[in-house]
Amino acid sequence: MRMRLPARIAVYALVTVSVLLVLFPLLWMASAALKTNAEIIDPDSPLLPLHPQWSNLSTAWNTVPFGRFFLNTAIFSITTTAGWVATGMLAGYAFAMFDFPFKRVLFYVVLSGLMIPFTVVLVPVVQLLADVHWVNTYQGLIVPNLASALGCFLYRQFFLAAPLELGEAARIDGASELRIFWTVYRPLAQPMTGAFMIIAFLQNWNNFLFPLVVTNSEKLMMISQGLTIFEGQISRVTYNLMMAGSLIAVIPVLIVAMIAQRRVVEGLALGAVRG
Amino acid sequence: MLPVLALTVIFSVVPLVMVFDRSLYRGNIFGTDLSFAGLANYREVFSTGGGHVLAVTAVFTVGFVVACMVAGFCIALLLDIRLPGLRQVRAFFVIPIVVPPVATAFIWFTMFEPNSGLFNRALQGLGLPQVNLNTPSTALVAVIAFGAWQFFGEVVLLYLAALKSLPGDVLEAASVDGAGPWQRLRYVRWPLLWHQTALILVLATLNGLQTFTQIYVLTDGGPQGATQTALYYVYQEAFGYGTGSIGLADAMAVILFGISILVTLSQLTLINRRTA
Repeated sequence: MRMRLPARIAVYALVTVSVLLVLFPLLWMASAALKTNAEIIDPDSPLLPLHPQWSNLSTAWNTVPFGRFFLNTAIFSITTTAGWVATGMLAGYAFAMFDFPFKRVLFYVVLSGLMIPFTVVLVPVVQLLADVHWVNTYQGLIVPNLASALGCFLYRQFFLAAPLELGEAARIDGASELRIFWTVYRPLAQPMTGAFMIIAFLQNWNNFLFPLVVTNSEKLMMISQGLTIFEGQISRVTYNLMMAGSLIAVIPVLIVAMIAQRRVVEGLALGAVRG
Repeated sequence: MLPVLALTVIFSVVPLVMVFDRSLYRGNIFGTDLSFAGLANYREVFSTGGGHVLAVTAVFTVGFVVACMVAGFCIALLLDIRLPGLRQVRAFFVIPIVVPPVATAFIWFTMFEPNSGLFNRALQGLGLPQVNLNTPSTALVAVIAFGAWQFFGEVVLLYLAALKSLPGDVLEAASVDGAGPWQRLRYVRWPLLWHQTALILVLATLNGLQTFTQIYVLTDGGPQGATQTALYYVYQEAFGYGTGSIGLADAMAVILFGISILVTLSQLTLINRRTA
């Protein structure tokens, strides 16, 4: 079925419009990040910066401790993502492969974790952290985020569908259970692990609400929370620095997402299954 | 079961159970609170504007879901057309989902700047009234538009995947029978996609109910509570002001939880009825 030329032109035009729908805020940001503040506030100024102010970027970088923020965000995202994959994979494997007492009950507990939005239990979790004096600490940030019900659920589904014969064969060859898990089944799940990992990483990287309520010291701030300093401390007048700061925060994520684009798409599909 | 495996289970399942046990345990605390303090917290929630909060939540969530679903579905249909280059375009729709919401919120904030922001320049150019974050009605519209922008890419990608998985022979048979593009969409593709539509609907609704960052930066729940959703109410009562009340936050959190469960269940029943 071939399309006529006018129809094809129409499709490409509409596609261009929809891509612009995604990109226009980012283009606006890039442009505003290189303007002077007077240009941004002036309604008659051109949309593009005529005299790019590259110094905005370094000024923004030096206004807040970005290095520290990136380090904190990296520590948080790497540990929590590792936790999600490890607990999810091991628990999911156990649920899929073994019988143990109260298995059904335990699995319903996990499922309830999927149904309860984290935001609903936010207040009690913070009260709990306050009880053990973990507010404003790395462990307070990280420990509550170490396990993922979604991960457990996904890995269980995956391992339920995995062929049992592989493990049987290895067992006959005298492999220990741990070894069977590590050398036989873990590699099978590798593609899903890749997708799950990247999506978990991005989600943790962008986590805002939880760090916001658990920390308030600049030493522990993650990049998202750190950015809000531009809004509060410097007042809303310095838009160009706000945009330059946003640019600094957006670029690394953008690079990661573009490199791992296919995995991100797969990961989003994984996250959608829980519905 | 081998001891080694028992250990694995303990070290992986138990922390999980602990985490969930905590959340359940808290649920119980809400429960006991209720039975002793009566429904006092709930009464107070509603006497201090809780009804308004729920109305805002409803308007926000419905607007958010409709905007995401309509834009997402149309764009997915467009990208599903087999023309060179359209496959690569898919990558762009990943962007809004992964960039930090705080950064994009700043961007949208400046785009709504009176007179000089991108939106208000465009609206003025078209002779339309400006969108102002300090006016209750337009602030809510602005927050909905922004929330939808951040999420609609996911709808595009999920619908695209669903469209790709439709059985090609059925569509072909429909063409052979003389069905035009509109008829194929209306009578073949749309019904086949129903299951996916319901799933995406659940996902979008839950996302809408949990929108926080966008509101935090853009309007902080204002002006005059015009963008204060249930989740935002929980946040403000518990952590926002010195005058807040944990009891009220908890009560609203329970209501929010009830709404989430209700929405999910009713939408899932809807799927089952249609597919059965």
